Amino acid sequence: MPENFESFIQQHRDAFEEPGPSPKVWDALERELEGSRKGRIVSMMGRNWFKAAVIAVLLVNAAVLFYIAKHKQHQQQDLAVVIPEIQEAKVYYTNRINEKLELINAYPANELGLDSAARQELQLRNDTYKTLENELKNNPGNQRIRGAMIRYYQLKLELLDKILEELQDKHATPPTHTKKQYEAEI
Amino acid sequence: MKASANNLNQTPIDGNVIDRCKRGDVRAFRELYNAYAAAMYNICLRMTNNVSDAEDTLQEAFIQVHRNIGKLEREASVTAWIKRIVVNHCLNNLRKKKVYFEEVEEVEVAEEAGIDEDSFTWTVSAVKSAIHGLPQGYRTVLNLYLFEDYSHREIADMMGITESTVKTQYMRAKEKVRQIVKQQNLIR
Repeated sequence: MPENFESFIQQHRDAFEEPGPSPKVWDALERELEGSRKGRIVSMMGRNWFKAAVIAVLLVNAAVLFYIAKHKQHQQQDLAVVIPEIQEAKVYYTNRINEKLELINAYPANELGLDSAARQELQLRNDTYKTLENELKNNPGNQRIRGAMIRYYQLKLELLDKILEELQDKHATPPTHTKKQYEAEI
Repeated sequence: MKASANNLNQTPIDGNVIDRCKRGDVRAFRELYNAYAAAMYNICLRMTNNVSDAEDTLQEAFIQVHRNIGKLEREASVTAWIKRIVVNHCLNNLRKKKVYFEEVEEVEVAEEAGIDEDSFTWTVSAVKSAIHGLPQGYRTVLNLYLFEDYSHREIADMMGITESTVKTQYMRAKEKVRQIVKQQNLIR
């Protein structure tokens, strides 16, 4: 039975596929990605050296704490039950940090000059925070870790304040538009 | 009737890989590339008609995927999103090479016109070779419709021409393929 053109293509669709690209495509792509990554970091540091420096410190902290945490026994206990005073600090700082984040998030991404990894790092519950939280659960009596947690909150708050200051300097009046309206205009 | 702009039935990677890509994880991006490279390379190959241009276009398209993956919404189809980037790159590169997708007069081309299909046999190699030899405009429309599963309306929007031009070019392309395959049958 003769086939028409379209049905022939549909029935033999797989036979029209060629093997994938040569490995050199990924090699070139990887080099390109590495280059653009370095370029972005350098350019971000040039424009936002303070933010970049603080984020770098937070990332280093995260790496060190992660290493420590790997060698500790994991305990599934709620932090609030173990250390009530830390819970109070958590409520206080979380509210303030969330307020600041909300203000910062009102600005479009291109105004912030931060890539997605850096934006992720700005969030309260990032890897550093989770590592500290686990450390506290495992070592509730350790004053140094308690201090580190409080310092983490303060550092985060200072960082967000600094970013907000810069953004407000840049825009004489605070944004009254929603993020979507702003993006639509530009 | 076109079901969807997607010939990969399912996204071959999970959301976790996309989340890691969004965080800048190069290994996750490699997983994404490995999952889609072959299918997307075939699109590039059909559209550009040569291996070297196809590989260059694929590379450029994936750079754009990397740059924009942060904008990909969680509910969106990863496959359709990547595929659209790849197709747009192919079309842009063709435009840079001064390939114009011109409007044509609306001409009625009768379905299955002229050639008696009982008198010859379709083969994959003959059809491939016939498509390869089509003028660029015809080949682009035919590939987008038949192989990439876009509707006439979607193709018109992507190419910046009218839907009726797309339909006419598709019918002409199909007719041309039939003629070439028939000639190849006669030569044998």
